[in-house]
Amino acid sequence: MTMDTAQLKSQIQQYLVESGNYELISNELKARLLQEGWVDKVKDLTKSEMNINESTNFTQILSTVEPKALEIVSDSTRETVLKQIREFLEGIVDTQ
Amino acid sequence: MTEETITIDSISNGILNNLLTTLIQDIVARETTQQQLLKTRYPDLRSYYFDPNGSLDINGLQKQQESSQYIHCENCGRDVSANRLAAHLQRCLSRGARR
Repeated sequence: MTMDTAQLKSQIQQYLVESGNYELISNELKARLLQEGWVDKVKDLTKSEMNINESTNFTQILSTVEPKALEIVSDSTRETVLKQIREFLEGIVDTQ
Repeated sequence: MTEETITIDSISNGILNNLLTTLIQDIVARETTQQQLLKTRYPDLRSYYFDPNGSLDINGLQKQQESSQYIHCENCGRDVSANRLAAHLQRCLSRGARR
């Protein structure tokens, strides 16, 4: 039986939230990003973008900040959190 | 088997991406709202000037020597050098406004 990918994704997401793992992973990610100074860097980036563009429009600022902010996430944090998510997924998804 | 691994990887990446974009949106929303609030409250607000060499002050002007600025002491009526004001006030006020 084949399942629609979007449906599968939403089911996994729902299970992740219901089991409390989503919050755990989210908290871990937040703590790591705060520790490595990513949060401060994104704040500074947002401020400088607001100054450069002389605008406080959320959509406009977000469109410039988001790609840069995603780029500066350290590899170690990315890998650790990805590993955590992967471990959780391997536990619930039937790979047969 | 390979297909399944790729799926797990892509879903993991998708979830991480979701978490990260949520955090970014949160930070940008807070900062833009704060800036809007500041602009509304203080329309003439200018950000402080930053001089990497440290020779200009926060207003972008030449730094003045503290000793060249005199502040009028309301207690004794004398003009006191800014870098002596704290010490002066301590003595001046403890003397019960005699001087």
